[in-house]
Amino acid sequence: MKQKIFIIAGLVLLVIVIVIMVRDLFSSKKEDQKNPYDYKLNELKKTAGKQIAYNEALSFRTGLEEIHAIACGAGDRIFVGGSKGVEIFEKDGKPAGKFGFEGFASSLAMDKKGDFFIGMQDHVEVYSPEGKLLKKWNGISPESFLTSIAVSDSFVFVADYGKRAVYRYDHEGRLINRIGEKDPEKKVPGFIVPSPYFDLAIRYNHELWVANTGRHSMEQFSYDGTMNSAWGEASMAIDGFCGCCNPSHFAFLHDGSFVTSEKGIERVKIYSPKGEFKCIVAPPSAFTEGTRGLDLAVDSRDRIIVLDPERKQVRIFVKK
Amino acid sequence: MPGRREFLNTLMRGGILAALGLLSGAVIFRSRDEKSCSYGFDCSGCSRSKSCMLPAALEARQMVWQLDMTKCIQCGRCATNCVMSPSAVKCTHAFAMCGYCDLCGGYFKPGTKTLTTAAENQLCPTNALKRKFIEDPFFEYTIDEELCIGCGKCVKGCGAFGNGSLQLQVRHDRCKNCNECSIARSCPAQAFTRVPANKPSLLRGLGPELPKETAKKNQANG
Repeated sequence: MKQKIFIIAGLVLLVIVIVIMVRDLFSSKKEDQKNPYDYKLNELKKTAGKQIAYNEALSFRTGLEEIHAIACGAGDRIFVGGSKGVEIFEKDGKPAGKFGFEGFASSLAMDKKGDFFIGMQDHVEVYSPEGKLLKKWNGISPESFLTSIAVSDSFVFVADYGKRAVYRYDHEGRLINRIGEKDPEKKVPGFIVPSPYFDLAIRYNHELWVANTGRHSMEQFSYDGTMNSAWGEASMAIDGFCGCCNPSHFAFLHDGSFVTSEKGIERVKIYSPKGEFKCIVAPPSAFTEGTRGLDLAVDSRDRIIVLDPERKQVRIFVKK
Repeated sequence: MPGRREFLNTLMRGGILAALGLLSGAVIFRSRDEKSCSYGFDCSGCSRSKSCMLPAALEARQMVWQLDMTKCIQCGRCATNCVMSPSAVKCTHAFAMCGYCDLCGGYFKPGTKTLTTAAENQLCPTNALKRKFIEDPFFEYTIDEELCIGCGKCVKGCGAFGNGSLQLQVRHDRCKNCNECSIARSCPAQAFTRVPANKPSLLRGLGPELPKETAKKNQANG
């Protein structure tokens, strides 16, 4: 009887030892895969679904090798600027033409006639609606990198990441003044732009707004360079601007609301004309991780047009 | 016996002259050989680089391990799998790319309320990243290599939210240059590679060899 108990106990012990060995053999591999220093960025990208007020209605690919800038013009035509040219699309995404040039368009805007003002890294080139070069403005500086252009009835505003300044030109390319440069005497702190995303836009055809990304703020300037107002807050939360330098791009809806895009946590959002968070257009899950340079445009029907350089697509979002 | 003495003198003078000639010939040959290095001691592309005995070529033939930052996914294995303790992989700062941000994604934990150097605000598990005020609103970030364990947390944060100026690199004053690198063996992105000892770094987004347009493009891509 005693011998039987010993044999059974021995067998049980053997089974336990085998189970432990097998578990150790297989689970140890899983342990090796774990990163004890993991920085979980996905946790920061979670978004409440009820805050998403837009749907993606349409997307289409562009034929350019690299894409940097987007604009919307008469008839809601969509213009995409990038390496060696500009592509033109109808509002439903059908190709409507293109024209080429040397270098790449780092920024793009149109005037009422339909002439293109294209920032070519360190200078501006003006093209007719048919794509004929009308004028090449003087180069600003070898360090210049023109990240944004806006055209009003009387002026052309250019944002220069390289010099951290905004320039006001007339339509012929004559420089009128520089805006927002650091001036300790006038207590102007200057633009803080750590990375080459430095956007500007005009609201109601007269209000100049600039994204001071290093301060995570949207700033409004008079044409003489006086700063009138600002809003914005650095935060990983949905109502703030994340990372070191955001919003990377912005545009305006017709009621004066701000549409902003960010890098780091890739998202497109809407703020009221006073700068209060309203809703999400596109959450981080809508973009490939690491996407940067989500340039924005808005058409006559307030459809939000997003340039996605990672997917080389134009993506159009409409209100639910 | 003046004839023999004269003969020996002549022989000695002749010998000295011949030795001097040989010596100067060797010097001229050597200097001609060095001048003939049309690559300016940059051995890449030189057809003689495998047999050349110039010191630069010898150094170029010696290979060392390095981490290719274009492939690195910051998995943390550089910290845990190196035979050295702490790891020979360290965070390196490419200052030319840095934005000197007040709110640095590589330094601060997400959701930090005050941008101070308080321990609870820091992303680095070993306090190896140092923050120093330069002028409003710019801050300089440096790495204390004695404390850095090469975990890549700051690299991931900087890459996601900043310009990606914080990058992991093998420090060759610490690396044992094992034939079979234990990090390379376990690297899921196969980012470890052998590079010539005279060009030992593989930092992303930098390099004097980049043409202006490519460098600007890289810059534009952040």
